[in-house]
Amino acid sequence: MHSEFAPPAPDTVPAPPAPGPTGLPVSMKIVVAGGYAVGKTTFVGTISEIEPLTTEADITVESLGVDFAGGVSTKTGTTVAMDFGRITLGPDMVLYLFGTPGQDRFLFLWDELVRGAVGGIVLVDTRRIEDCFPAVDYFEHLGIPFVVAVNLFNGVYRHHPREVREALAVPANVPVVLCDARNRLHVKETLVLLVEGALRRAQMAGAAV
Amino acid sequence: MSWETGDHGTPEVRPAADLPRRTVVRPYMLTRGRTTSSLGVFELHAPVLALVVPGQLGRATPEDRMIVELCQTPMSVAELAARLHTPVGVVRVLVGDLVDARMVQVRQAGDRAEHRDVRLLERLLEGIRAL
Repeated sequence: MHSEFAPPAPDTVPAPPAPGPTGLPVSMKIVVAGGYAVGKTTFVGTISEIEPLTTEADITVESLGVDFAGGVSTKTGTTVAMDFGRITLGPDMVLYLFGTPGQDRFLFLWDELVRGAVGGIVLVDTRRIEDCFPAVDYFEHLGIPFVVAVNLFNGVYRHHPREVREALAVPANVPVVLCDARNRLHVKETLVLLVEGALRRAQMAGAAV
Repeated sequence: MSWETGDHGTPEVRPAADLPRRTVVRPYMLTRGRTTSSLGVFELHAPVLALVVPGQLGRATPEDRMIVELCQTPMSVAELAARLHTPVGVVRVLVGDLVDARMVQVRQAGDRAEHRDVRLLERLLEGIRAL
Protein backbone atom coordinates (compact mmCIF):
# COMPACT_ATOMS: atom_id res chain seq x y z
CA MET A 1 0.00 0.00 0.00
CA HIS A 2 1.20 3.43 -0.87
CA SER A 3 2.11 5.37 2.21
CA GLU A 4 1.41 8.65 0.40
CA PHE A 5 -2.26 7.87 0.25
CA ALA A 6 -4.56 9.52 2.70
CA PRO A 7 -7.83 7.85 1.77
CA PRO A 8 -10.87 10.01 2.40
CA ALA A 9 -13.00 9.20 5.42
CA PRO A 10 -15.43 6.35 4.64
CA ASP A 11 -18.58 8.44 4.96
CA THR A 12 -17.35 10.90 2.31
CA VAL A 13 -16.58 8.28 -0.31
CA PRO A 14 -19.19 8.27 -3.07
CA ALA A 15 -19.93 5.05 -4.86
CA PRO A 16 -17.30 4.23 -7.49
CA PRO A 17 -18.32 5.14 -11.05
CA ALA A 18 -20.02 1.82 -11.75
CA PRO A 19 -17.02 -0.31 -12.61
CA GLY A 20 -17.12 -3.85 -11.22
CA PRO A 21 -15.27 -6.63 -12.99
CA THR A 22 -17.40 -6.10 -16.08
CA GLY A 23 -16.32 -2.46 -16.36
CA LEU A 24 -13.08 -3.60 -17.97
CA PRO A 25 -13.03 -4.60 -21.63
CA VAL A 26 -11.49 -7.85 -22.78
CA SER A 27 -8.04 -6.96 -24.05
CA MET A 28 -6.54 -9.06 -26.84
CA LYS A 29 -2.99 -8.90 -28.13
CA ILE A 30 -1.31 -9.75 -31.41
CA VAL A 31 2.47 -9.59 -31.79
CA VAL A 32 4.04 -8.24 -34.98
CA ALA A 33 7.50 -9.70 -35.49
CA GLY A 34 10.23 -9.68 -38.10
CA GLY A 35 13.67 -8.32 -38.75
CA TYR A 36 14.93 -4.81 -38.19
CA ALA A 37 13.19 -2.16 -40.33
CA VAL A 38 10.93 -4.68 -42.02
CA GLY A 39 7.88 -2.48 -41.52
CA LYS A 40 6.46 -3.62 -38.18
CA THR A 41 5.61 -0.13 -36.95
CA THR A 42 4.16 0.70 -40.36
CA PHE A 43 1.96 -2.40 -40.17
CA VAL A 44 0.78 -1.43 -36.68
CA GLY A 45 0.24 2.22 -37.61
CA THR A 46 -1.78 1.37 -40.71
CA ILE A 47 -4.64 -0.09 -38.71
CA SER A 48 -4.17 1.41 -35.24
CA GLU A 49 -6.68 4.05 -34.13
CA ILE A 50 -3.86 5.87 -32.32
CA GLU A 51 -0.44 6.90 -33.57
CA PRO A 52 1.79 4.01 -32.53
CA LEU A 53 3.10 4.61 -29.03
CA THR A 54 6.43 3.55 -27.66
CA THR A 55 6.88 1.87 -24.34
CA GLU A 56 10.18 1.05 -22.72
CA ALA A 57 10.95 -2.30 -21.21
CA ASP A 58 13.74 -2.24 -18.69
CA ILE A 59 15.95 -5.19 -19.54
CA THR A 60 17.94 -5.38 -16.35
CA VAL A 61 15.01 -5.38 -14.03
CA GLU A 62 12.22 -6.90 -16.00
CA SER A 63 13.49 -9.56 -18.28
CA LEU A 64 16.61 -10.90 -16.70
CA GLY A 65 15.10 -10.88 -13.25
CA VAL A 66 18.42 -9.72 -11.87
CA ASP A 67 18.50 -7.38 -8.96
CA PHE A 68 22.01 -6.09 -8.58
CA ALA A 69 21.68 -4.25 -5.33
CA GLY A 70 19.63 -6.41 -3.05
CA GLY A 71 16.21 -4.91 -3.61
CA VAL A 72 17.36 -1.47 -4.62
CA SER A 73 18.05 -0.97 -8.27
CA THR A 74 20.83 1.56 -8.57
CA LYS A 75 21.27 0.97 -12.28
CA THR A 76 18.26 1.24 -14.50
CA GLY A 77 19.96 -0.84 -17.19
CA THR A 78 19.29 -0.69 -20.88
CA THR A 79 15.82 0.00 -22.07
CA VAL A 80 14.33 -1.44 -25.23
CA ALA A 81 11.61 0.44 -27.02
CA MET A 82 8.55 -1.41 -28.28
CA ASP A 83 5.98 0.21 -30.52
CA PHE A 84 2.34 -0.65 -30.20
CA GLY A 85 -1.07 0.39 -31.43
CA ARG A 86 -4.66 -0.02 -30.34
CA ILE A 87 -7.93 -0.91 -32.08
CA THR A 88 -11.19 -0.61 -30.16
CA LEU A 89 -13.54 -3.31 -31.42
CA GLY A 90 -16.49 -2.30 -29.27
CA PRO A 91 -17.23 -1.26 -25.71
CA ASP A 92 -16.28 -4.73 -24.51
CA MET A 93 -13.17 -5.53 -26.53
CA VAL A 94 -9.91 -3.85 -27.46
CA LEU A 95 -7.06 -5.25 -29.56
CA TYR A 96 -3.43 -4.27 -29.07
CA LEU A 97 -0.76 -4.82 -31.70
CA PHE A 98 2.78 -4.97 -30.35
CA GLY A 99 5.87 -4.76 -32.53
CA THR A 100 8.80 -6.82 -31.33
CA PRO A 101 12.16 -5.15 -30.83
CA GLY A 102 13.97 -5.65 -34.14
CA GLN A 103 17.30 -7.12 -33.19
CA ASP A 104 17.82 -10.77 -32.39
CA ARG A 105 19.67 -9.92 -29.21
CA PHE A 106 16.36 -8.83 -27.71
CA LEU A 107 14.70 -12.15 -28.47
CA PHE A 108 14.45 -12.92 -24.76
CA LEU A 109 12.00 -10.02 -24.42
CA TRP A 110 9.55 -11.92 -26.55
CA ASP A 111 8.48 -14.23 -23.76
CA GLU A 112 6.97 -11.23 -22.12
CA LEU A 113 5.46 -9.91 -25.33
CA VAL A 114 3.96 -13.20 -26.37
CA ARG A 115 2.43 -14.10 -23.00
CA GLY A 116 -1.33 -13.97 -23.46
CA ALA A 117 -1.08 -13.21 -27.20
CA VAL A 118 -3.61 -14.57 -29.69
CA GLY A 119 -0.76 -15.11 -32.15
CA GLY A 120 1.88 -13.46 -34.26
CA ILE A 121 2.42 -11.88 -37.65
CA VAL A 122 5.90 -12.46 -39.08
CA LEU A 123 6.75 -9.73 -41.56
CA VAL A 124 9.23 -10.69 -44.23
CA ASP A 125 11.37 -8.52 -46.48
CA THR A 126 12.35 -10.83 -49.34
CA ARG A 127 15.61 -8.90 -49.78
CA ARG A 128 16.61 -10.09 -46.30
CA ILE A 129 14.50 -13.17 -45.87
CA GLU A 130 16.83 -14.69 -43.25
CA ASP A 131 16.00 -11.81 -40.86
CA CYS A 132 12.66 -13.44 -40.11
CA PHE A 133 14.05 -16.87 -39.24
CA PRO A 134 14.29 -16.17 -35.49
CA ALA A 135 10.63 -15.09 -35.41
CA VAL A 136 9.45 -18.15 -37.36
CA ASP A 137 11.52 -20.45 -35.13
CA TYR A 138 10.20 -18.77 -32.02
CA PHE A 139 6.50 -19.06 -32.88
CA GLU A 140 6.90 -22.59 -34.19
CA HIS A 141 8.79 -23.74 -31.14
CA LEU A 142 6.18 -22.35 -28.75
CA GLY A 143 3.27 -23.55 -30.88
CA ILE A 144 1.82 -20.06 -31.21
CA PRO A 145 -0.48 -19.44 -34.21
CA PHE A 146 1.21 -17.21 -36.78
CA VAL A 147 0.96 -15.89 -40.31
CA VAL A 148 3.90 -15.06 -42.56
CA ALA A 149 3.28 -11.77 -44.36
CA VAL A 150 5.64 -10.81 -47.17
CA ASN A 151 5.84 -7.05 -47.09
CA LEU A 152 5.39 -5.42 -50.49
CA PHE A 153 7.53 -2.34 -50.19
CA ASN A 154 6.86 -0.84 -53.57
CA GLY A 155 3.66 -2.60 -54.33
CA VAL A 156 5.61 -5.21 -56.26
CA TYR A 157 6.87 -8.55 -55.15
CA ARG A 158 10.06 -10.32 -56.09
CA HIS A 159 9.13 -13.74 -54.83
CA HIS A 160 5.95 -15.71 -55.06
CA PRO A 161 4.55 -16.65 -51.64
CA ARG A 162 5.18 -20.28 -52.60
CA GLU A 163 8.90 -19.54 -52.89
CA VAL A 164 8.88 -17.82 -49.53
CA ARG A 165 7.07 -20.78 -48.01
CA GLU A 166 9.72 -23.12 -49.39
CA ALA A 167 12.53 -20.91 -48.17
CA LEU A 168 11.06 -20.76 -44.68
CA ALA A 169 9.92 -24.40 -44.63
CA VAL A 170 6.84 -23.47 -42.62
CA PRO A 171 4.10 -26.08 -42.12
CA ALA A 172 1.15 -26.14 -44.50
CA ASN A 173 -1.19 -24.80 -41.82
CA VAL A 174 0.78 -21.54 -41.57
CA PRO A 175 -0.56 -19.03 -44.12
CA VAL A 176 1.99 -17.18 -46.25
CA VAL A 177 0.52 -14.02 -47.78
CA LEU A 178 1.58 -10.91 -49.62
CA CYS A 179 0.87 -7.78 -47.62
CA ASP A 180 1.65 -4.14 -48.21
CA ALA A 181 2.07 -2.92 -44.64
CA ARG A 182 0.80 0.52 -45.72
CA ASN A 183 -2.44 -0.93 -47.08
CA ARG A 184 -5.19 -1.08 -44.48
CA LEU A 185 -7.12 -3.80 -46.28
CA HIS A 186 -4.01 -5.98 -46.56
CA VAL A 187 -3.24 -5.53 -42.88
CA LYS A 188 -6.82 -6.27 -41.93
CA GLU A 189 -6.96 -9.44 -44.06
CA THR A 190 -3.66 -10.62 -42.56
CA LEU A 191 -5.09 -10.18 -39.06
CA VAL A 192 -8.26 -12.02 -40.10
CA LEU A 193 -6.17 -14.97 -41.34
CA LEU A 194 -4.28 -15.10 -38.07
CA VAL A 195 -7.38 -15.00 -35.88
CA GLU A 196 -9.12 -17.61 -38.06
CA GLY A 197 -6.17 -19.91 -37.45
CA ALA A 198 -6.15 -19.22 -33.73
CA LEU A 199 -9.89 -19.83 -33.59
CA ARG A 200 -9.60 -23.16 -35.43
CA ARG A 201 -6.90 -24.22 -33.04
CA ALA A 202 -8.97 -23.22 -30.00
CA GLN A 203 -11.98 -25.09 -31.39
CA MET A 204 -9.90 -28.21 -31.95
CA ALA A 205 -8.44 -27.98 -28.47
CA GLY A 206 -11.95 -27.60 -27.08
CA ALA A 207 -13.24 -30.58 -29.07
CA ALA A 208 -10.35 -32.72 -27.88
CA VAL A 209 -11.21 -32.18 -24.22
CA MET B 1 19.40 11.75 -3.36
CA SER B 2 16.65 11.72 -5.87
CA TRP B 3 18.22 14.03 -8.41
CA GLU B 4 19.93 12.56 -11.36
CA THR B 5 23.41 14.00 -11.39
CA GLY B 6 25.48 10.84 -11.57
CA ASP B 7 27.15 8.90 -14.33
CA HIS B 8 24.45 9.57 -16.89
CA GLY B 9 25.15 13.30 -16.77
CA THR B 10 22.73 16.02 -15.90
CA PRO B 11 19.59 16.39 -17.98
CA GLU B 12 20.86 19.75 -19.21
CA VAL B 13 23.69 18.24 -21.21
CA ARG B 14 21.55 15.69 -22.96
CA PRO B 15 20.43 16.35 -26.50
CA ALA B 16 16.89 17.63 -26.57
CA ALA B 17 15.67 14.64 -28.58
CA ASP B 18 16.85 12.36 -25.80
CA LEU B 19 14.85 14.19 -23.18
CA PRO B 20 11.32 12.95 -22.83
CA ARG B 21 8.99 14.68 -20.44
CA ARG B 22 10.23 12.45 -17.70
CA THR B 23 11.08 13.68 -14.26
CA VAL B 24 14.72 14.02 -13.32
CA VAL B 25 14.08 11.42 -10.65
CA ARG B 26 15.54 8.01 -11.52
CA PRO B 27 12.62 5.84 -12.63
CA TYR B 28 12.79 3.35 -9.79
CA MET B 29 12.90 6.11 -7.19
CA LEU B 30 9.18 6.37 -7.89
CA THR B 31 8.76 2.86 -6.55
CA ARG B 32 11.18 3.36 -3.67
CA GLY B 33 13.52 0.89 -5.31
CA ARG B 34 10.99 -1.89 -5.69
CA THR B 35 11.07 -3.66 -9.02
CA THR B 36 8.13 -5.99 -8.59
CA SER B 37 4.57 -5.60 -7.47
CA SER B 38 3.05 -7.83 -4.81
CA LEU B 39 0.47 -8.80 -7.43
CA GLY B 40 2.87 -10.29 -9.96
CA VAL B 41 3.68 -8.96 -13.41
CA PHE B 42 0.81 -7.29 -15.19
CA GLU B 43 0.58 -8.01 -18.89
CA LEU B 44 1.46 -5.16 -21.22
CA HIS B 45 -2.04 -5.13 -22.69
CA ALA B 46 -3.88 -5.56 -19.38
CA PRO B 47 -6.48 -2.81 -19.05
CA VAL B 48 -6.54 -0.67 -15.91
CA LEU B 49 -9.66 1.13 -14.70
CA ALA B 50 -9.85 3.67 -11.89
CA LEU B 51 -12.24 2.92 -9.04
CA VAL B 52 -12.09 6.49 -7.80
CA VAL B 53 -12.06 9.95 -9.32
CA PRO B 54 -8.93 12.11 -8.91
CA GLY B 55 -10.73 14.23 -6.32
CA GLN B 56 -10.92 11.23 -3.99
CA LEU B 57 -7.17 10.68 -3.96
CA GLY B 58 -6.21 12.95 -1.07
CA ARG B 59 -2.43 13.27 -0.93
CA ALA B 60 -1.04 11.27 -3.80
CA THR B 61 2.11 11.42 -5.89
CA PRO B 62 1.81 13.12 -9.28
CA GLU B 63 2.32 9.74 -10.97
CA ASP B 64 -0.48 8.07 -9.02
CA ARG B 65 -2.73 11.01 -9.74
CA MET B 66 -1.98 10.79 -13.45
CA ILE B 67 -2.66 7.05 -13.50
CA VAL B 68 -6.05 7.58 -11.84
CA GLU B 69 -6.85 10.42 -14.23
CA LEU B 70 -5.85 8.45 -17.33
CA CYS B 71 -7.73 5.36 -16.16
CA GLN B 72 -11.12 7.01 -15.78
CA THR B 73 -11.69 5.07 -18.99
CA PRO B 74 -9.81 1.77 -19.30
CA MET B 75 -6.18 2.11 -20.40
CA SER B 76 -3.59 -0.62 -20.83
CA VAL B 77 -0.42 -0.90 -18.76
CA ALA B 78 1.71 -0.31 -21.88
CA GLU B 79 -0.25 2.79 -22.80
CA LEU B 80 0.09 4.17 -19.28
CA ALA B 81 3.85 3.66 -19.48
CA ALA B 82 4.01 5.43 -22.83
CA ARG B 83 1.87 8.36 -21.70
CA LEU B 84 3.75 8.74 -18.41
CA HIS B 85 7.12 8.44 -20.23
CA THR B 86 8.06 5.88 -17.62
CA PRO B 87 9.46 2.34 -18.09
CA VAL B 88 6.74 -0.26 -17.99
CA GLY B 89 8.37 -1.99 -14.99
CA VAL B 90 7.90 1.14 -12.89
CA VAL B 91 4.30 1.54 -14.00
CA ARG B 92 3.56 -2.06 -13.00
CA VAL B 93 4.73 -1.42 -9.45
CA LEU B 94 2.76 1.84 -9.22
CA VAL B 95 -0.39 0.19 -10.59
CA GLY B 96 0.07 -2.72 -8.17
CA ASP B 97 0.15 -0.26 -5.28
CA LEU B 98 -3.01 1.40 -6.58
CA VAL B 99 -4.74 -1.98 -6.82
CA ASP B 100 -3.72 -2.71 -3.22
CA ALA B 101 -5.17 0.66 -2.25
CA ARG B 102 -8.40 -0.13 -4.17
CA MET B 103 -7.92 2.89 -6.35
CA VAL B 104 -7.79 0.93 -9.62
CA GLN B 105 -8.52 -2.54 -10.91
CA VAL B 106 -6.67 -4.54 -13.58
CA ARG B 107 -7.92 -7.30 -15.84
CA GLN B 108 -5.33 -9.97 -16.52
CA ALA B 109 -6.29 -11.75 -19.72
CA GLY B 110 -3.66 -14.48 -19.55
CA ASP B 111 -4.90 -15.69 -16.19
CA ARG B 112 -8.20 -16.54 -17.81
CA ALA B 113 -6.66 -17.86 -21.06
CA GLU B 114 -8.83 -15.38 -22.91
CA HIS B 115 -6.54 -15.54 -25.93
CA ARG B 116 -7.60 -19.19 -26.43
CA ASP B 117 -11.29 -18.74 -25.63
CA VAL B 118 -13.40 -19.76 -28.64
CA ARG B 119 -16.19 -17.31 -27.89
CA LEU B 120 -13.80 -14.39 -27.49
CA LEU B 121 -11.82 -15.31 -30.60
CA GLU B 122 -15.07 -15.39 -32.58
CA ARG B 123 -15.88 -11.97 -31.23
CA LEU B 124 -12.37 -10.74 -32.12
CA LEU B 125 -12.67 -12.10 -35.66
CA GLU B 126 -16.04 -10.47 -36.10
CA GLY B 127 -14.62 -7.18 -34.81
CA ILE B 128 -11.61 -7.20 -37.14
CA ARG B 129 -13.76 -8.15 -40.15
CA ALA B 130 -16.03 -5.21 -39.42
CA LEU B 131 -13.14 -2.70 -39.48
